[in-house]
Amino acid sequence: MGSSAGLKDDCEALLSRFQEMDSVRFEDFTELWRSMKFGTIFCGRMRNLEKNTFTKEALTSAWRYFLPPYTFQIRVGALYLLYGLYNTQLCQPKQKIRVALKDWDEILKFQQDLINAQHFDAAYIFRRLRLDRAFHFTAMPKLLSYRMKKKMQRTEITEEFKDPNDRVMKLITSDVLEEMMNVHDHYQRMKHVISADKSNPEKSLNLIKDDFFDNIKNIVLEHQQWHKDRKNPPLKLKVKGGEEKIERNSQQSERCERAESLAKIKSKAFSVVVQASKSRRHRQVKVDFSDSESSQVQTKTTRKRRNKETLKPAGRKVSSRDRGDMQNLHKEDKSLSLSMPVVTEEDEENESFSETEFTAPKRRRKQRTKS
Amino acid sequence: MAEDSLGDPACGGMDGRQDPVLSSGGFNFPEYELPELNTHAFHVAAFGELWRGRLRGEGDLSLKEPPAPALPGAGGVSDSGSEDAAVARDLGCSLETAAELRAVCGLDKLKCLQEGEDPEVIPENTDLVTLGVRKRLLKHREETLTIDRPCRQETFAYEMESHAIGKKPENSADMIEEGELILSHKEHKPYQTMLVLGSQKLTELRDSICCVSDLQIGGEFSNTPDQAPENISKDLYKSAFFYFEGTFYNDKRYPECRDLSRTIIEWSESHDRGYGKFHTAKMEDFTFNDLYIKVGFPYLYCHQGDCEHVVVITDIRLVHHDDCLDKTLYPLLIKKHWLWTRKCFVCKMFTARWVTNNDSFAPQDPCFFCDVCFRMLHYDAEGNKLGEFLAYPYVDPGTFN
Repeated sequence: MGSSAGLKDDCEALLSRFQEMDSVRFEDFTELWRSMKFGTIFCGRMRNLEKNTFTKEALTSAWRYFLPPYTFQIRVGALYLLYGLYNTQLCQPKQKIRVALKDWDEILKFQQDLINAQHFDAAYIFRRLRLDRAFHFTAMPKLLSYRMKKKMQRTEITEEFKDPNDRVMKLITSDVLEEMMNVHDHYQRMKHVISADKSNPEKSLNLIKDDFFDNIKNIVLEHQQWHKDRKNPPLKLKVKGGEEKIERNSQQSERCERAESLAKIKSKAFSVVVQASKSRRHRQVKVDFSDSESSQVQTKTTRKRRNKETLKPAGRKVSSRDRGDMQNLHKEDKSLSLSMPVVTEEDEENESFSETEFTAPKRRRKQRTKS
Repeated sequence: MAEDSLGDPACGGMDGRQDPVLSSGGFNFPEYELPELNTHAFHVAAFGELWRGRLRGEGDLSLKEPPAPALPGAGGVSDSGSEDAAVARDLGCSLETAAELRAVCGLDKLKCLQEGEDPEVIPENTDLVTLGVRKRLLKHREETLTIDRPCRQETFAYEMESHAIGKKPENSADMIEEGELILSHKEHKPYQTMLVLGSQKLTELRDSICCVSDLQIGGEFSNTPDQAPENISKDLYKSAFFYFEGTFYNDKRYPECRDLSRTIIEWSESHDRGYGKFHTAKMEDFTFNDLYIKVGFPYLYCHQGDCEHVVVITDIRLVHHDDCLDKTLYPLLIKKHWLWTRKCFVCKMFTARWVTNNDSFAPQDPCFFCDVCFRMLHYDAEGNKLGEFLAYPYVDPGTFN
């Protein structure tokens, strides 16, 4: 029905404008709400049954943006949107917001995050919704009636509302860093303890670089900084060609999703490469990156040493350069000329894209001559 | 989250044995089995427990009307004061912040229409896509329709959906308890959706499913049209079963009820047909809370020996204070397909009650008549049969409208 497509557009328009405001305050949201006159979305002489159906649809559309993987700001915006829709609806008694059991824990966590971060207005809004008993606590998010005939609508996740897929940060979280530091200290202390000379550990125990931990920290911080820089300029660009870019992207996202998944399958098949022994180094199999169109390598290798992230199809590189979207390009792919910090490494050949474990780096590091 | 260990779910009458094969032990967290189509099987009561464990009693589960928020500025100071204190406590902020929140997040901030503006009229200069679509639709209706009002089916559907909303029972013993589960039960042919409580027995649902085959009257009555037979099929053939997740729940309330599922079980066990072991149970011993079911998955209801209906549980949720709270009204019909009734061939006004075959008077075979026209055409003033024909009582599926 036409209204659901219209609803999606309107919700996304509101949320993307909210995102641009770069704020999570309810006052800012209500400014937007009033300027767009979003409350009038229920106007227009709908008959009772239509009113019910439309309101249910509106709440469901808004609800989608409230759950992960959308960014924090979008989720807060979705919460405000739900509050607005719930309270401006014309149905009597009010249509409720459906919450599935599997999502509830996530939502409570979100609420706790809001309180911890002292976003009191958002927390207040959620509390208000809960006190008003605006929720229906259900088994699944929508009614399921085993409709095989109707084409399942693929719920497309609006890409620009998502956090960029940052595999580096997902792995090297602050917890991990802290733990690494502790382990490193402990290790150093152990070395001291078991060596003969208490002040200097044995030379033979010098298996890792002492400043390895600091290096990692610096690299990660650099990466974070690069991320931030990349995000910020595009925001300004967004304002200009905002709408058409959103549309272009959503069209492309479907194509690209498919291309991406194809590439993922390919890369999975080809990325597992056995590390050749030293004697056969010259015959080491390399994963081929020359094909920049569709090559996408998802690797789980030594992230600490380089920023190896997923490649996206080159088809989008234009838009990504403009919009600075979630594309983390492979650094080796020189044909895509983005302003990416290139972390030069020496032993590149040896770093094939085998899915090495955490322990492997220790062995490799021995081969590095300088940090 | 805690994985519930079920122990023995309450199932009176049986020796505590439940379907052992199915859902893996305590995993009662509904998740998609086939994405967007159905979930894996889980235990209904345990699912309810999972929800209730996560919610606070008075806040979320209560069935009383929720307290309205104190409006900023209006209402007694004490009201807002205590509310602010509650806010401050819950959010961990100061009292001033709480008061400020109440002002900032008030509903008046969401007002988009000025005083006096009619919510029915679409505002002129709007950017919203939805409103654009709606405006075009309204314009189209204005241009093409003489009288713009909802059609009968729509009114009917809306009435069905909302007729019981908010109904409170007179007898407080009939009140639903907090935390009760409501299952949405959709049946095919005839299409109807019913709401049923978790604590209700399967037999109650069985009794409330109206299928026209239950009302069929067997037998040829051309010679004795006045002998209105007392026995409809519903009374004669009382057997029925539900099939959920590998178990046949047979209706065994009356001595004449037979186990219809035995045939199926014997068939499946005779050769290795690839079906797991089937179980049988008594329908009257089980409530919906005791079942393991998949949401969105088709199951079966069979009665009259061979009249089969596909049933799907479309939704399970906790009861809400806006729902119908009268236990006696459940299972509650909320959606029904409107069926056009077949009218008498002669007068075209009344619903057909008789159907004839091989009828020399009738222009078509079979032919439908209402009671009056049937007698007028086929019998003389004394009630003697004229001509040759076979006559059967006819119950129209639209009888339930």
